[in-house]
Amino acid sequence: MTTRRGFLAGLMASTLTSQASWASAGSPAFLSAGKDASGAFLLAGLSDTGGILFRHPLPGRGHAAAAHPVRPEAVAFARRPDRFADVIDCRSGAATARLEPPAGHHFYGHGTFSPDGSRLFTTENDYENARGVIGVWDATGGYRRITAFSSGGIGPHDMALRRDAPGLVVANGGIETHPDSGRAKLNLPDMRPNLSYLSLEGELQAQMELAQELRLNSIRHLAVRADGTVGFAMQWQGDPGEQLPAAGLHRPGTAPRLMAEDDARVLNLKGYGGSVAFSADGSRIGVTSPRGGVLQVMDTVSGALLREFRMHDVCGLAASAGGFTASTGNGQFFAVSDAGQHPLHRADLAWDNHLIPLI
Amino acid sequence: MRALALTLALTAAPVAASELSSSITDKLILPAFEELAADSRTLARAAQADCDPQSGALRAAYGEAFDAWIAASHYRFGPTETDSRAFALAFWPDSRSKTPKALAGLIRSEDAGIKDPAKFASYSIASRGFYALEFLLYDPQLSTAGTPEYRCALTRAVSTDIAATSKAISADWQQSYAAELRAPGSRYQTEDEITQELFKTLTTGLQVLDGMRLGRPLGTYQKPRPNRAEARRSGRSLRHVLVSLNALEPLAVALAEGHADLQEKITAGFAKARTKAEALDDPVFAGVSDPAGRFRIESLQQEIKDLHTLMREDLGPALGVAAGFNALDGD
Repeated sequence: MTTRRGFLAGLMASTLTSQASWASAGSPAFLSAGKDASGAFLLAGLSDTGGILFRHPLPGRGHAAAAHPVRPEAVAFARRPDRFADVIDCRSGAATARLEPPAGHHFYGHGTFSPDGSRLFTTENDYENARGVIGVWDATGGYRRITAFSSGGIGPHDMALRRDAPGLVVANGGIETHPDSGRAKLNLPDMRPNLSYLSLEGELQAQMELAQELRLNSIRHLAVRADGTVGFAMQWQGDPGEQLPAAGLHRPGTAPRLMAEDDARVLNLKGYGGSVAFSADGSRIGVTSPRGGVLQVMDTVSGALLREFRMHDVCGLAASAGGFTASTGNGQFFAVSDAGQHPLHRADLAWDNHLIPLI
Repeated sequence: MRALALTLALTAAPVAASELSSSITDKLILPAFEELAADSRTLARAAQADCDPQSGALRAAYGEAFDAWIAASHYRFGPTETDSRAFALAFWPDSRSKTPKALAGLIRSEDAGIKDPAKFASYSIASRGFYALEFLLYDPQLSTAGTPEYRCALTRAVSTDIAATSKAISADWQQSYAAELRAPGSRYQTEDEITQELFKTLTTGLQVLDGMRLGRPLGTYQKPRPNRAEARRSGRSLRHVLVSLNALEPLAVALAEGHADLQEKITAGFAKARTKAEALDDPVFAGVSDPAGRFRIESLQQEIKDLHTLMREDLGPALGVAAGFNALDGD
């Protein structure tokens, strides 16, 4: 499988060498949405130390983004319940296309390309039918809408490629919303989040639901380790002050493993996992909470909470050579390792929820 | 007259952040943790002198020290977070009833490790701190479980541990963290970051009042949760709201230094909340279960929400700090 994917990527790369590569865009390490000092929204490409390599203005607040596996092309997704996704040529920062979902849909803010870069997948709300949907777009030219399929639940938010098999893993947060009532949560009495594993054609292959007492813990964000293990972060919709896990690990066909369940310090996350990432060596999983102003790092083997790092309004998180890179709503960029947290850069803008690594 | 002129001169321009944080550190934070350390030392001594749960002197010392913690507990950064000290002093809410389970386990097994303070400090935070001690002094079951000798040893162990933790927090504040907060350096790079930390301390303190101290027992109209009232066994639920309001107000006023109008609004807002709290006459929020009582507790909660709004909409902008871009996002 990996061979096939590698072959296809190689094929794409070779056919495109005359065109453009990520190196021609300055080889950004990350993408992040943000808001500048004048209040304007943007998507930026960042170096590994947080320097801005390109920026592209967005018509509204962004959320996450997806990077094409070969071409220096990024897609910036609108924050829900907005309806734009801008395709950006990262060499210039110019938009080459603007995607709009079909009538009756809005984007949830996340998406991913297929391994060969031929298709783009977007998480969407088919809100008249209260149905989670994955939109499929032709990324070989023009970004035509090809099709859509069920996400396997309500409120699909983050989505990633599987690494143990071809396919997608989708965090169905379980919360029903409708643009007519803004961001109000319409189904808390019977919400039931899940992780759904789908083929690239949309067949549901496996699904994981948490125990009944955790049904108000909305599964929102994902990270996938090289061995296929999925890390997920949750957001609690029940009473404040409950001591509950905010992160877990899962592999299809096995029970989920919750992190730091018995550690009171999970209360410091204020029931809100904002982003999740594995460390570069896969031995740690980090979860950020902007509400708690904290990053917690857990051992993926023992599940123990190893250390907390305080950063105001921290949310964006990605692996880096020594451990993690984190970004904040204050425009800060931190390197986080066993040695501690080290400020790398400060931009005069607010970094939005996610730091998207370019691998 | 001269004093008035001076006040006017001071209110003319916002106060420099470092002046603000130095003043708050010296006048509010350091004294709050000194008081906690002193009252906790008195508590440990009282437990040594008389460990009977009915002891008036012990209960009085417990109340004083717990008050001191509530008055300092919103400063949840730096020294309180080292080695989970804040949780070791105050593990609440305890949504899984770990504290009574942990204490019952110790009493049942007569675990001898409690007699070594260093060892006890490594025990689960559920068996340590003010909420654990409340069970030992006030809970009908746990205050009579096992042998009097073991319970006595456990009461002393918990009290001694509270004193040691409080002392460590106060020492860290004095020896290192006060300097970090007075001026930018390695922990905070800019004065804005320091102001942000203090502002967040205030808003988080109000959120704890609203969401935890009042919100948890209120539950929903259909399902009120009176048993979730904080420290209800010792009848301290409402008292904690008042102690907390009294501790948060000077912080809010200090942060609004240089903005006389805002200071007046803050004082008026806290006065309204305090008046409602004082008029409640419901020490453990038992009224959450009946419509009239519930209405009055909700009305107090609304005053605290209004205070929070005032801080977010007026004080935050006056200080040039905003509530978090991501913290408010909810995605």
